[in-house]
Amino acid sequence: MSIRVQLPPILRPVMGGERFLSAEGSSIGAVLSDLTKRHPALALHFFNEGGAIRHNIVFLHDGAMIRAKEAAARPLKPGDEIVITNALAGG
Amino acid sequence: MPVSLIVGTPKGAAILRSKDRHTWEEDFVLRGWPVTASVRDDQGRTYIAVNSPNFGVALFASDDLKNWKQLESAPRYRPEDRGNPEHHRLIAKEDFMGTLKGGGRFVDQIWTLHFAHGVLYAGVSEAGLFVSHDRGQSWQPVDGFNEQPGRESWAPGFGGLGAHTILSDANNPNRMWVGISAAGFFRTDDGGKTWQPKNKGVNPAIDSAPATTGQCVHSVTHDPKNASVMFRQEHRGVHKSEDGGDTWQVMEDGLPVTELSDGHHCSFGFPSVMDLKSGSVFVVPLDGDNFRFPRGGQLAVYRSKNGRSWEPLTKGLPQNCFTAVLRGSLAADQMSPGGIYFGTASGVIYGSDDLGESWREVASGLPRIMSVEAYAN
Repeated sequence: MSIRVQLPPILRPVMGGERFLSAEGSSIGAVLSDLTKRHPALALHFFNEGGAIRHNIVFLHDGAMIRAKEAAARPLKPGDEIVITNALAGG
Repeated sequence: MPVSLIVGTPKGAAILRSKDRHTWEEDFVLRGWPVTASVRDDQGRTYIAVNSPNFGVALFASDDLKNWKQLESAPRYRPEDRGNPEHHRLIAKEDFMGTLKGGGRFVDQIWTLHFAHGVLYAGVSEAGLFVSHDRGQSWQPVDGFNEQPGRESWAPGFGGLGAHTILSDANNPNRMWVGISAAGFFRTDDGGKTWQPKNKGVNPAIDSAPATTGQCVHSVTHDPKNASVMFRQEHRGVHKSEDGGDTWQVMEDGLPVTELSDGHHCSFGFPSVMDLKSGSVFVVPLDGDNFRFPRGGQLAVYRSKNGRSWEPLTKGLPQNCFTAVLRGSLAADQMSPGGIYFGTASGVIYGSDDLGESWREVASGLPRIMSVEAYAN
């Protein structure tokens, strides 16, 4: 099933300026795996040396904020959209 | 001949180009990425290193300085490599979610890129050396350096434990040097298999640090074709070696000598660069590690033409200037007469097309400048 993924602004130059990508998967983890198969340059940014999702990445899905450690198993349904962003700092 | 400057900032890279070294065109690329280093290979491809506390370290490459493509690989330690707790503590301000608590060793920044003998090198923090034999398409750790005996004694500088200087010998591909803050300067004579500290004659950054690997080297410059004559800007002052780093002598005749926080006096500063055609060496002294701005507020570059003493160069540089010039932010275009360029922590680029005799502002309004590289093309 196809999932629409919104990239953060900093990663858009990696994809030639694209804001949205499509990927297949029934969980956020599966979608990230599919994305990096299609676009290998993204793998450095999504996964750390141990293969885990980088700890500072945050996902927005269905009105919820999903932290990296819960993201891999987060279920998705057809037509869902996820937003990839990062832990916020500032003020 | 046109000159290009690649200026690294926390918010992207300024690309400055000039046909006459007087008027400059400016572009700002890789917006949003902290840009920490760049290098050009022998086929004219330019590489830029970026890092993000959220999305990691990567490299972009371009053949025209306009179109940048991210490489699919970057230097990375193995998952089982163990990290330095003191380095983790220093960079933990960006560890929002506790990544470092597991104790792993991570590449959090590429401090320098170097190209020699057809090979691309990256010096990183946590301190280590990586090599690419395929123009950055894949990277391998240099285990002889990264896992060398004594690593456990390395202590980070204020900016972390970073390998920020890589030098090579144009006449001997087996000889290289790497500088680490604050573990000192190292040399290999067997193509990277083994490394020896080369700090004899240089005082440790603090008196209690190890005598052999407690030096806080800030930068080193030389002519790769006359590689054994080296100039070293150390926390504890400027030094010279004429034997490839085996021994070092203080060289600060003419430099401002200021007080360090521990009461020692020396010629403190960060960057150094050599104009290869004239052999002139340039440094930018600061008023010790307490203040870290030009002494008396007079921004000044110092030049040594004879390899023994220094002279100040201030024409065109501001007074009442209380900024700094960081380690990677001084460059030479290697044209004749030599063009010298530097960027400040307050976002101004100054340039000289007469070997430092006079200076003019090349660009301003930039973020804090972390790196400057100059290329004649």
